[in-house]
Amino acid sequence: MSDTERGNDDDLSLPKATVQKLINEMMPDDIACAKDTRDLLIECCVEFIHLLASEANEICEKETKKTIAAEHVITALKALGFDGYLPEVEVVLQDHKTQQKVKDKDKRSGRLEFSGKSEEELLLEQTRLFAEAKERQQTQQH
Amino acid sequence: MRKKYKTKFPVARIKKIMQMDEDVGKVAQATPILISKALELFMQSLIDEACMETRAKNAKRLTAAHLKKTILDKDQFDFLRDIVENVADPQGASGGADENSVSSDTKMEEDDDAGESSSAPPKTRAPKGEGKRRKARNAVKEEDEDYD
Repeated sequence: MSDTERGNDDDLSLPKATVQKLINEMMPDDIACAKDTRDLLIECCVEFIHLLASEANEICEKETKKTIAAEHVITALKALGFDGYLPEVEVVLQDHKTQQKVKDKDKRSGRLEFSGKSEEELLLEQTRLFAEAKERQQTQQH
Repeated sequence: MRKKYKTKFPVARIKKIMQMDEDVGKVAQATPILISKALELFMQSLIDEACMETRAKNAKRLTAAHLKKTILDKDQFDFLRDIVENVADPQGASGGADENSVSSDTKMEEDDDAGESSSAPPKTRAPKGEGKRRKARNAVKEEDEDYD
């Protein structure tokens, strides 16, 4: 998934293969999608992103915020007449928030009180770390 | 709810596309993730609607013409008009004046009020200031078909 150097960022589009897979999942079984139709669909998707981003950005600026937040996207969808998408989009937002909470908790339990070491071990570790730091300091001074 | 897709849009790519717009600055982590979801729903909606046109024409392949018709018919897709401008008109002739089209409902995913015929707008943009490219505003509640 490495993004190789692109000549122009303005040629940015969605990856054809991914979109093709999605189209296949979305199309009814008895209808096929012509190749240029797929390309046209991709253009429509990119335009949709621009539309949504632009609207969300305006809403964000009105609130004199600098970062386009989730709420701005939601308001933008309403403003653009895509209310129907709101329930599912809000589910995604909730999932994301929940995931973030779990991540934060994991980070916190990486700290010493949860590391499962006894106090003696911790003391030893501390002494060792101090000694290492001291050594580093002395080497630097030379 | 159709949460059945195995494939997902690449979130990092979405963020890059967003930032092609110079006005767009920083973007929260959740933002491209939400847009990815919205995009999924959008694509499904577009495909669903376009396939209805495909079936109406008794075709087995979804063509650009079917997409174009869908886009022209539905308010929600106004911002896509420019993109399909160069696509051959559904009826082959430029500006099919006597087309019967399913009336564009301003509801989101439904397009069920069949039976009303109206002249589909030719290549020019529909009236009522619907020349929205990036700024589709309050598309709800405005019907812009010309009724005879």
